[in-house]
Amino acid sequence: MDLILQQMVNAVSLGGIYALLALGLAVVFSIVRLINFAHGEVMTVAGYGIWIALASAWPVAAAVALGLAVAILAAVSMERVAFRAMRGADVTTLLITSFAVSEIIKVLFQNGISARPVPVVLPAWMSGTLDLGPVRIGVIALISILTVALSLVLLSVFLRRTVMGLAMRAAAEDFPVVRLMGLRANHVIALAFAVSGILAGVAAVLWVAQRGSVDPLMGAAPVLKAFIATVLGGLGSLTGAVIGGFVVGAVEVCLQGFLPQSLLPYREAISLALIIAVLVWRPDGLWPAEQTSRS
Amino acid sequence: MLAVRDLKVRYGAVEAVRGLDLSLARGQLLALLGANGAGKTSTLAAIAGLVPAAGRIEIAGETAGGLPPETLARRGVALVPEGRRLFAGLTVAENLTLGGAVHTPPAERRRRVAAMEERFPVLAERRHQKAGLLSGGEQQMLALARALMAGPRLLLLDEPSLGLAPQMVERVFDIVAGLKAEGLTILLVEQNVPMSLAIADQAVVLANGRAALSGPAAEVAASDHVRRAYLAA
Amino acid sequence: MDRYCRRAGALALAVTAATATGALAQDYVIGVAVANSGGLAPFSQPAYDGFKFCVDEMNASGGIAGKHPIRLEVRDTRSEISEAVKFAQEFVDIGVNFIVAPPDGDPTMAMGQITSPAQIPTMTFAGTAPILTSVGEYVFGSYPADNQQAAVLGAYAAELGYKTAFLLKSPDAAYTQFGPAYFGTVFEANGGQVVGEASFTMNQPDFSAIVTTIQALNPPPDVIMTSAWEPDFPAFIKALRGAGVTIPVMGADVLDTPTVRGLGEVVEGVVHTSGGYPDPGSAHAEFNARFEAATGKVADTNYVVNGCDILGMIDAAVQAAGTTDAAAVGQALAALPETEGIMSSYTFAGTDRMPMRSVVLARIEGGEKVIIRREMADPATMPAP
Ligand SMILES: Nc1ncnc2c1ncn2[C@@H]1O[C@H](COP(=O)(O)OP(=O)(O)OP(=O)(O)O)[C@@H](O)[C@H]1O
Ligand SMILES: [Mg+2]
Repeated sequence: MDLILQQMVNAVSLGGIYALLALGLAVVFSIVRLINFAHGEVMTVAGYGIWIALASAWPVAAAVALGLAVAILAAVSMERVAFRAMRGADVTTLLITSFAVSEIIKVLFQNGISARPVPVVLPAWMSGTLDLGPVRIGVIALISILTVALSLVLLSVFLRRTVMGLAMRAAAEDFPVVRLMGLRANHVIALAFAVSGILAGVAAVLWVAQRGSVDPLMGAAPVLKAFIATVLGGLGSLTGAVIGGFVVGAVEVCLQGFLPQSLLPYREAISLALIIAVLVWRPDGLWPAEQTSRS
Repeated sequence: MLAVRDLKVRYGAVEAVRGLDLSLARGQLLALLGANGAGKTSTLAAIAGLVPAAGRIEIAGETAGGLPPETLARRGVALVPEGRRLFAGLTVAENLTLGGAVHTPPAERRRRVAAMEERFPVLAERRHQKAGLLSGGEQQMLALARALMAGPRLLLLDEPSLGLAPQMVERVFDIVAGLKAEGLTILLVEQNVPMSLAIADQAVVLANGRAALSGPAAEVAASDHVRRAYLAA
Repeated sequence: MDRYCRRAGALALAVTAATATGALAQDYVIGVAVANSGGLAPFSQPAYDGFKFCVDEMNASGGIAGKHPIRLEVRDTRSEISEAVKFAQEFVDIGVNFIVAPPDGDPTMAMGQITSPAQIPTMTFAGTAPILTSVGEYVFGSYPADNQQAAVLGAYAAELGYKTAFLLKSPDAAYTQFGPAYFGTVFEANGGQVVGEASFTMNQPDFSAIVTTIQALNPPPDVIMTSAWEPDFPAFIKALRGAGVTIPVMGADVLDTPTVRGLGEVVEGVVHTSGGYPDPGSAHAEFNARFEAATGKVADTNYVVNGCDILGMIDAAVQAAGTTDAAAVGQALAALPETEGIMSSYTFAGTDRMPMRSVVLARIEGGEKVIIRREMADPATMPAP
């Protein structure tokens, strides 16, 4: 029982990070129909930002702030430099552009900094543990869960209570009409990238805190999972992305934790098979983007 | 208020508008009539900046051709699009708020939302309902209210009565007449020719992207062509 | 225009012919398959840096065997095995004298399947899986093999009084899969017992589930052994210590990096094997100083010095063969008796082309690598590949 509880904590903690990344992908996709595979590199950029700050003996809070700032900058400049020129291109072209951006950034880090991971050391109190009833939870895992929860609440408030938040939701439905309301297309899109950047930045902070190193490929694996999560949740659906993120995290942890030893090497295949099964059952994902209309 | 000279809109090989002239004085209502596919929606889209067009478009004496829709919206052009195109997943109140997005102080937006709810009481009742779940008539009220939220100088209406019950159609024309009475300049695209000509000052009949007929509404209404084709007389 | 093109074409041909014949006349051509990006880059970059540094030094004093200038044909595999295979074919077509393969067993084996039948000696930059030489007579290791390392580490674990061990493997590479298995074999031969195993995927996002599995073992194992490398090892150890698990951890030579040592508190006390240690005053320490002075880079892992030792091995083989002929050099290398190296001496004679070299046992203390001792594996206790 304790074991199951403990693995549930693991699943929430991991799923939360996937959810943040998946949300970032979904926010951008819903507006510009771009599946941004370079999203992982936004995370990587943030990771290096944190590394540089900590290596320069900045306090943790300042390092986190720098990580978030460079993530936003990275995401927005990606849009400005690479994707704006491709605006309106078909999904495949955009996808390939994002692959190219992703590769370029990886190589820049590999050649500019190092192909090897660089260590990121956080203060000792962050690697402690707390006993909550039968569950022993790492301080970082706890911070991670709380941060994800807070981020989701803040994003939801932003999307519901501010004009730009409403504009982003509206743009996902009908971008030309948003422009008819006098909202600049470039602003709305840049904001979508900024939001995705900040989400990737938060994910990077949590990721780096849990893993202790930053390398040029850092963002690639989690963003692949996040992409699976967005498809599972329903491409373009924000709620779906969050649900998908948690499901992917839970599947990953459960298979790792409870598969018999002999099947462990196959767990990636098993998890993908499960996800494909879900998609066969619900081709539009678990929680597709809303089609609210009376027909 | 609006002067259009030799307007041409094409979609690839399709020439939707082939050299159209329009002029609309401040406070006047121009009815743009014509059969399906005549190029009415394309004309409005070009004026609102949604599609690229050749020719000259002037709004309030300033060149407006080639400007993006957001800039035109800030200059006082509001379009109620064909099929309404509400943000279905957003609530009534959220749709209205976005309509007033050009007004930066939030207090001003709230004041305007309240004014719209007073003008269209049904919207106040449905404030927190998703726009996509409103009835057709309610949706048309919301689409109008959303456009009015910006406080436009030039209102472009694309078939506001389309698909509505007769009672509702009358209500829509009453509202449009009311807006004209308040001094708003309106370009009205409609299929309901008699009711449009009844409230219009000027009228243009489009056919194959060209003006087949134009002049004061009463003259157009009296023309043989219109009487035969649209007024069943 | 047309005339200009033709003239330029002829000129290019002439230049190519000149360099090609020049190469035949005297150059010793080494095809080098590096991995400038991807998962092997952390090992390839330092290994190539050390190799290149010593090639330049050697060329300054006449070249290989003192008389053949070395020319490198460097290709970037980006850690892709398919690319490595492509370059293997290219190297065979060029007719290089020697090939250096990426620092992992899998790409080395893939290349060896093409280059060994062509009788071109092919040496891995740092691959240590002992099975890697099984693909052909001309495939060579350079670093102490995993079974040598395991023989030393497994016996040391038993010597420390550990009775039970948990193994963390990954089927993604021979190194990460068999390294812990060899350790387990030796540990059990010394009276220990393997009480559990877990399997991870390289670049696996999260290790918390594995940590929970380990935490659930009752009684807890005395030691955890893994051959995981970066970034998996840092992620694993962070998760393990972050969950409050204090079981000692042992690892393989991949942990010999500043990144791992820079992880702080969580890696304190981690024991790992290594190919060498720069004792003050040693040739190794002297090399590191020379390398740093010349390149401005710190030789902070043994892969740098091993890169230089690889060139030494080639040089020794060419001298022993008395010719630059690829096949003859390969045969001479396979029969090379104990030869002085910089990191350590090496013996190919009597092995299946994985050189016998001493293994260093080291512990991470306060962010520094502290040598425990240096030991030669006993071939009798080495697990079979
Ligand atoms: N996006 C488009 N791409 C290609 N052709 C188009 C496009 N939009 C409109 N058309 C074509 O342009 C012509 C004019 O269309 P438009 O929508 O302007 O007509 P309309 O007068 O508004 O018709 P309706 O009364 O049916 O709304 C039609 O032939 C239509 O098929
Ligand atoms: Mg139309």
